[in-house]
Amino acid sequence: MAQHDPTLSHIFQALSDPTRRAILTRLMAGPAPVSELARPTGMALPTVMRHLAVLEGAQLIDSAKTGRTRLCRARPATLVAANTWLDAQRALWEARTDRLEAFLETLTETPDEPRS
Amino acid sequence: MNPALDLELTRLMAAPPARVWRCWTEPDLLRQWWAPRPVTTRHAEIDLQPGGRFHTIMVLPDGKDHPTDGCFLEIQPERRLIFTDTLNAGFRPATTPMFGFTAIISLTPEAGGTRYHALVMHRSPEIRDQHQAMGFHEGWGTAAGQLDALAKDL
Repeated sequence: MAQHDPTLSHIFQALSDPTRRAILTRLMAGPAPVSELARPTGMALPTVMRHLAVLEGAQLIDSAKTGRTRLCRARPATLVAANTWLDAQRALWEARTDRLEAFLETLTETPDEPRS
Repeated sequence: MNPALDLELTRLMAAPPARVWRCWTEPDLLRQWWAPRPVTTRHAEIDLQPGGRFHTIMVLPDGKDHPTDGCFLEIQPERRLIFTDTLNAGFRPATTPMFGFTAIISLTPEAGGTRYHALVMHRSPEIRDQHQAMGFHEGWGTAAGQLDALAKDL
């Protein structure tokens, strides 16, 4: 992963919204026109378009106009960058918990009285 | 929970909640497991009350001090500990949080031991580069492999 990745905060901002996550999840299954993405949200088309623009700005999706419809596609490679970051945080906490657990093992023979 | 920004882990630990709680809340105990070797924790300050300071100073392999600062939000002895690095002591907003997280550590008695649950909610990954620049990433990442040595030494 690049040392400096200015788009990462855009990715997380884009993923912080449940509607956008739902749209992205749908697109992971395959490309879809905007109208189809809008339907399950129950939102007005301009609102959905704004969500799509945020996803596109974060390079999580792209879109192309074919005739009168705009077709959206997921860009899964972008998600990999986000996962790598969260995976690193997870590794930190997993390792910390491993250390806590291993340290607790060393305490089993000491009494549980609070230290003064 | 926001799957893009939050992580959750759960363990069944052999030790009872009282003992796990002590390891989290007594500086002399916390110092012994907090940092991944070869990083050490030379100082830990734990002011166990809402708004109380949670401050550690780790020493990196190159000898440089690496301080972390945070604030406790909730303390339920032997049950739940909530702290964040987005605030400093007295709930004062932190200017440069290291990670921008709030952690909820929950302990529940189970099978003579402890059901340990951690939920860590992140603000954003913007400070990730700073984190990596400090050489921390590598240190934390390899920590799991250093466990055996740690357990043996203690």
